[in-house]
Amino acid sequence: MSNDSSPAGKTGASASPVTKQGECTLAELPVGQTAVVINMKPSLRGKKKFADVGIVPGTLLQMEAHAPFGGLLRIKVMESSLSIHRDDAANIIIRKQELP
Amino acid sequence: MSRKYRIVLAGNPNCGKTTIFNCLTGARQHVGNYPGVTVESKTGNFMLGEDEIELIDIPGVYSLSSSSPEEGVAFEELTRPGIDLIMNVIDSSIPQRSLYLSTQLAELHIPMLIVFNMSDEAKKKGLKFSIQKLQSYFGCSIVQTVGSRGDGIDKLKNALAESLLHLEDHDVPKLTYGADVDDAIHEIVEWIEPAMTDRVRHIPARFFAIKLLEKDTCVMRLPEFQGLDAIIDAQITHLYARHAITAETFMADCRYAMISGACRDAISFTQERRREISDKIDAVVTNQWVGLPLFFVIMYLMFWFTFTCAAPMTAGIEWLFAWIQSLIERFWSPDFQPVFRSLLIDGVIHGVGGVVIFLPNILFLFLAIAFLEDTGYMARAAFVMDGIMRKFDLQGKSFVPLVLGFGCNVPAIMATRSIESERDRRTTILVLPLMSCGARLPIYVLLVPAFFAVKYQAFVMFLIYAIGVAFAMLAARLLKSTLFKGDGEVYLMELPPYRVPTAKSILLHMWDRGVMYLKKAGTIILGVSVLLFIANNFPEKKTFDADYGAQIMAVASDTSLSADEQSAAFKHIENLRRAESAEYTISGRVGRFLEPAFKPIGFDWRVTTAAIGALAAKEVFVSQLGILYAEGEVAEDASDDQQEPLRKILRRAYTPLQGFCMMLFCLLSIPCLATLAIIRKELNSWKWMFFEAAGLFALAYVTTFVVYQLGLLLKIGTDYLL
Repeated sequence: MSNDSSPAGKTGASASPVTKQGECTLAELPVGQTAVVINMKPSLRGKKKFADVGIVPGTLLQMEAHAPFGGLLRIKVMESSLSIHRDDAANIIIRKQELP
Repeated sequence: MSRKYRIVLAGNPNCGKTTIFNCLTGARQHVGNYPGVTVESKTGNFMLGEDEIELIDIPGVYSLSSSSPEEGVAFEELTRPGIDLIMNVIDSSIPQRSLYLSTQLAELHIPMLIVFNMSDEAKKKGLKFSIQKLQSYFGCSIVQTVGSRGDGIDKLKNALAESLLHLEDHDVPKLTYGADVDDAIHEIVEWIEPAMTDRVRHIPARFFAIKLLEKDTCVMRLPEFQGLDAIIDAQITHLYARHAITAETFMADCRYAMISGACRDAISFTQERRREISDKIDAVVTNQWVGLPLFFVIMYLMFWFTFTCAAPMTAGIEWLFAWIQSLIERFWSPDFQPVFRSLLIDGVIHGVGGVVIFLPNILFLFLAIAFLEDTGYMARAAFVMDGIMRKFDLQGKSFVPLVLGFGCNVPAIMATRSIESERDRRTTILVLPLMSCGARLPIYVLLVPAFFAVKYQAFVMFLIYAIGVAFAMLAARLLKSTLFKGDGEVYLMELPPYRVPTAKSILLHMWDRGVMYLKKAGTIILGVSVLLFIANNFPEKKTFDADYGAQIMAVASDTSLSADEQSAAFKHIENLRRAESAEYTISGRVGRFLEPAFKPIGFDWRVTTAAIGALAAKEVFVSQLGILYAEGEVAEDASDDQQEPLRKILRRAYTPLQGFCMMLFCLLSIPCLATLAIIRKELNSWKWMFFEAAGLFALAYVTTFVVYQLGLLLKIGTDYLL
């Protein structure tokens, strides 16, 4: 899986506040990078919905694209492409991880 | 002995259930490559050997809960008694995610048959399944199919027949979630088992116990399980304290853990997973910078295609109707049954023919929409448009129904069911009639060339559509900031992989739409045309206010006039006479009565009656003008320009400003009755339907009034020169 920074991926995610060592939110994951889901913040709405499509702790996911005007993110989860909103992604805690 | 079986087709959105449904039943339900094409249950029947099978296609869901209208429908359908077997269709190229629903279906303990659909895509991805292991795991048969090509359907039928033989002694799946979870489930089962009434007894208590552990609102609301909160909460606290995870996601986590265990055992990758072509296309199509401009190019191409490609066919149909008319005129003497001759020529041919002419436009529009749906682009369009839609308080999911609205508002309004947020869904439904549907197209195609020079035609056409979209967006914003105020809901949409659409699916969709359009022309529009013909011609005027005979005599005996001047004078008198008799008819009276109200927006009584007729179906506007003007004009155009006599007449009768106002009014005003009926059904309220009709009428009237009066004041479009 390529790790090169596409134009959308340059938004200095490393500079943003991290929750724990090496952890950040899904909203901060640059395009092209992969990460593993650690946890959901209690403030995440519709937890069940995200869980139903496979966003549960331990799931590997990849940031595929950012939509124009910033609202949506496209992530790859369990072989399928999902679009979710950045505000919700900001409540999903992940740890960056290279593909095995 | 022949028997009757009830089978439910269940699966994730966009896993190909409807394709399998069509393969088995021979039905032609619409399929598309975006999630949520099937929004309500559909039933089909087929014979399997001696047995009669009733197959029910339910909306695709990720989970058996009730967090969206579709999930509600699916949940209700699956928990209803009397299901003999569940056919669980899964997209086998994404097994993990797809089997998640299977684990929940398995807990219903209804005999099941799993269909590993899209097995060609799974193969391409390098996925290999140990079907034997998976079968014993889920306690049911598994069949691999490629629905789009019809591969494996025979095997599926055989497996189905086999499963139906063993309904009584079917296997029970061996699904366990680990000792402590199973203990908790067992504990709750003990409590709820005595509470189970006959109404729910066909479903295992274990299923409900798990749903209660998940805090599923739908199950928690069942009267049988009231008063058990304390017991359930105790189990939940006990479990969640040990696993440090929240209630809503706990079971999901368990299920995925269980599946990944099963997958490790039974599913393997035989080759290095390659980056799919789909991802490469998406890198461009959903790119932050390129995505949006590309979307607008595609939309432009869609409309260009609709108009340009249809033009030669339209000319052909026009010629055909002119030929039929000339044939009738030649063989049916005007002296024999003149009323019926006139009804046939002026009512039926001008009324229905005027509408059928636009069939090619409709066909090509639906061809374009079906292509975008089936390739999977529609879901991407929703993705790239979400940002803009949010500026108007809508969202990406509203976008697909809005685009479908350009085709026909009725299926588009039904497609809004995939929007989870009730506020967004209601808003989308209410603004949808502002998307200019295919039935309004004939009005523009008639009027635009009649009033605008060739170089402006494309622009005016675009302008009309753009005005509709702009008003829809503004109205959405208004609704969301007043009536439907509140926080947005969770947005989650799957982007299906790109697929090469099958020609069959696209052509079928186009064909079905074409047949529907022709049916409408042959029924509603024919009926309304005949009614309008009667209203336009009766009661007949026998005695006239002015003595036209005397006037004609006077002109004829006036020797100072040249032959040309004389015939012009005859024509003038004849038109006056016809105008007077037209005003005497029902249409004339109604139109005249309403004319003062519509005059400020540039309508005369004829256009007013056409606008009333358009309530039945928008195309009637065109047929009414066709009928009225075929009546009210002396046939002088017959020799020149066969192609567009009506346009010529209209050009003489109205200014381009009036023409534009007619289109504007038709665009914004009350939608057709079919649309109103579906709005009532989807919003489940008469009040909202009347609100919608009144609101749109007010919007149309005020807007047209402002445009017409401003135009008159500034002298814009008062001459054809524009």
